[in-house]
Amino acid sequence: MTEQTLKPNDILTKAEALRGTLSTSFRDEIVKSLYNEAENIARRAVKTAQDKKYDFDQKIDRLITSPIVGLPIMLILLGVVIWLTVSGANVASEVIADLLFGIGDWGRALFNQIGIPWWITGFIWDGVYLSLAWVVSVMLPPMAIFFPAFTFLEDLGYLPRVAFNLDWLFKKAGAHGKQSLTMAMGFGCNAAGVVATRVIDSPRERLIAILTNNFVPCNGRFPTLIMLATVFVAASFPPALTSFIAAGTVVGVVLIGIAFTFLMSWLLSRTLLKGEASAFTLELPPYRRPNIARILYTSIIDRTIFVLWRAMQTAAPAGAIIWILANITVGDSNLARLIADWLNPFGLLLGLDGVILLAYIIAIPANEIVVPTMMMVYMGAGMMIDGPGTSAGIYSLLVDGNGWTILTAVNLMLFALLHNPCATTIITIYKETKSLKWATVSVVITLGTAFLVTFLTASIARLMGWV
Amino acid sequence: MSLWGWLLVLLVVGIFIPRYGFLALYRDWRSAREREQVEDALKHLLDREQSGRHASPESLAGTLDLPRVKVTHLIADMESQGLLETRGAQLHLTAEGERWAIHVVRAHRLWERYLVDEARMPLNQVHSEAQRREHFFTDAQLDHLDAALGHPTVDPHGDPIPTREGKMASVKSLPITAWHSEGPVRIVHIEDEPAIAYEQILAAGLRLGQVIRIIERTPQRLVLSDGETEYRLAPTVAANVSITPLPESEIARANAVPLATLTQDQRGEIVSLDDAVQGFTRRRFLDLGLTPGTVIYPELGNFFGDPRAYRVRGTLIALRKDQAAQIWVKPV
Repeated sequence: MTEQTLKPNDILTKAEALRGTLSTSFRDEIVKSLYNEAENIARRAVKTAQDKKYDFDQKIDRLITSPIVGLPIMLILLGVVIWLTVSGANVASEVIADLLFGIGDWGRALFNQIGIPWWITGFIWDGVYLSLAWVVSVMLPPMAIFFPAFTFLEDLGYLPRVAFNLDWLFKKAGAHGKQSLTMAMGFGCNAAGVVATRVIDSPRERLIAILTNNFVPCNGRFPTLIMLATVFVAASFPPALTSFIAAGTVVGVVLIGIAFTFLMSWLLSRTLLKGEASAFTLELPPYRRPNIARILYTSIIDRTIFVLWRAMQTAAPAGAIIWILANITVGDSNLARLIADWLNPFGLLLGLDGVILLAYIIAIPANEIVVPTMMMVYMGAGMMIDGPGTSAGIYSLLVDGNGWTILTAVNLMLFALLHNPCATTIITIYKETKSLKWATVSVVITLGTAFLVTFLTASIARLMGWV
Repeated sequence: MSLWGWLLVLLVVGIFIPRYGFLALYRDWRSAREREQVEDALKHLLDREQSGRHASPESLAGTLDLPRVKVTHLIADMESQGLLETRGAQLHLTAEGERWAIHVVRAHRLWERYLVDEARMPLNQVHSEAQRREHFFTDAQLDHLDAALGHPTVDPHGDPIPTREGKMASVKSLPITAWHSEGPVRIVHIEDEPAIAYEQILAAGLRLGQVIRIIERTPQRLVLSDGETEYRLAPTVAANVSITPLPESEIARANAVPLATLTQDQRGEIVSLDDAVQGFTRRRFLDLGLTPGTVIYPELGNFFGDPRAYRVRGTLIALRKDQAAQIWVKPV
């Protein structure tokens, strides 16, 4: 037999020669025969009863993708999940904060008792530990509620339908329909949203999803938005309506963020990330009963703990820096105050002030500590604090004591929505894209947008004489 | 030494240090530019020879967009390297020159294939991108690219991709203006130069692999149809579209309609995937089970009208309209 005497090289040459004789669609034929074989096996092994479940699924599908019912369902579900997260987290946050701050007080007392110098005690307990405690107590509860709720909808089979419903809009912006899912994930945490973009297989569209994820506010930014909405917007309404007006304001800010997501996706797909919409294929799985154990596992271990751990790594050094800035004094004011005064002209130009900018610079590891840092500088305290307990107290501190106007409040909301990603998210973007360039771009475009928008609103407000 | 002295030292070092200094970098850049020019010139010569014409210093100057003096230098340079010969006003490739030219053409066409199939770049942008990438690749690197792409035989414009040995499969084709029968033909090549004509052809909606008929022919215009849409082109523009007559076996397929045209719950049997769909997208379609012979029907609409979800093999799969337009089905 001649075949037996063939050497490997001869076989390769022969294969090379034969390749030219293949029809162009031979790959299609291979896949087709694989599928035929699989179908044969399935036909023998699987019995399908023409079931009612199929009809039921179809009815639900028709309903949630219909124009009249589908869109409201999406908005209501989004509202419910956010409301659950915010209100449920409030209680849990307080419990955790009491516990952790209690440990802090105990540690401080212990250190004082055994005669450790005040600056070591302060650095460790009022700086590093306080920042960690703050981040954990503010960050953990909302994530522990949001992520299971999100995973529940995902497991149920509802989320792919959302991507299906909204794909047309994303297509117009040159992006991928699955970006709606990563965007929704961003409400829980932008870093988790960035990781979630792995479901988008086109690199170009995935980058768009990564770079614009920060325009939806994560729940670390909700406290800032809620505080401002309660103190400045809702205060002029009857007390009974306060919480609704505050919630409505936050929803309005969220919608502005979504508008910016589309706008920036559209701009990116026409400039930096040029290209046409690529292959969009999306499987709409049958509805199934969610598996609670798996939901808890993936949402708590994979998402919550993962994000929390990264946040804690960056929050500890930030706490140290915040404490140092607040406790080194030059003349009769501390470093924080001096830097804030130096930043003030630029802050005022943007309709903000120096303290806000300082808070955003040193609180880059986690947005949760922006408000306590601001309060610390405004009240001249030596560590991060909660501020006055009532909204009237906060109002008089900010407006009467520190020259805030309604413009400051509005622009801070816009800045909180649009500014650069937190350090955790930036690191995640770097790890996901493996590129310093795209991590930098993500900071430049968000910060640029934030500066531009706040500068414009401030200038317009001043020109029209509103403030 | 004063500050200025130190700065001067730094400047001198920055300019003259080997490999990383300004001068060394400039020299690298210059030699890269020169090589690009040589390769572009070789491609021009090959192109002329393949179309049965001869290159001249004038045609070379026009293609490379260089002043005559520089072209003269370039020609002398290439002649001394044994890449071309001048015979009177004509330029001819030597065997070595032709080998190199085909290598560059191979690099260019493989890159175009990659950019369209895997990077999914729009067709009208790939030429200039491939133009930048075609230089500085060894045969071994190109073999690697070739294998990764599944040994394609033609580039996205329908031009044959040479093998490593320099063989080019010849595609029997003629300009559509030279076709005088009513039968269906397949577009096998769309010439991408001049760019204005190419843009017009793409804008009209014609694409590679499409099956069309000529339904009207006047000196002013050519009207083509794929059974759905009519395309109007001036004959001078249409001359850039090359076709080949359709084999009998494929005429049956010309009756198929794009999946996107099926109405709700109307069943269709997949005939084939469009030839324009290659690489990543084709693999994705096949992975989802969109193989020839499969029955598929639109099951779920969307309030924006796009995408639609199709039931195939018991699974519900959403496809955008422009993708569903690339899947050919026979209504059953």
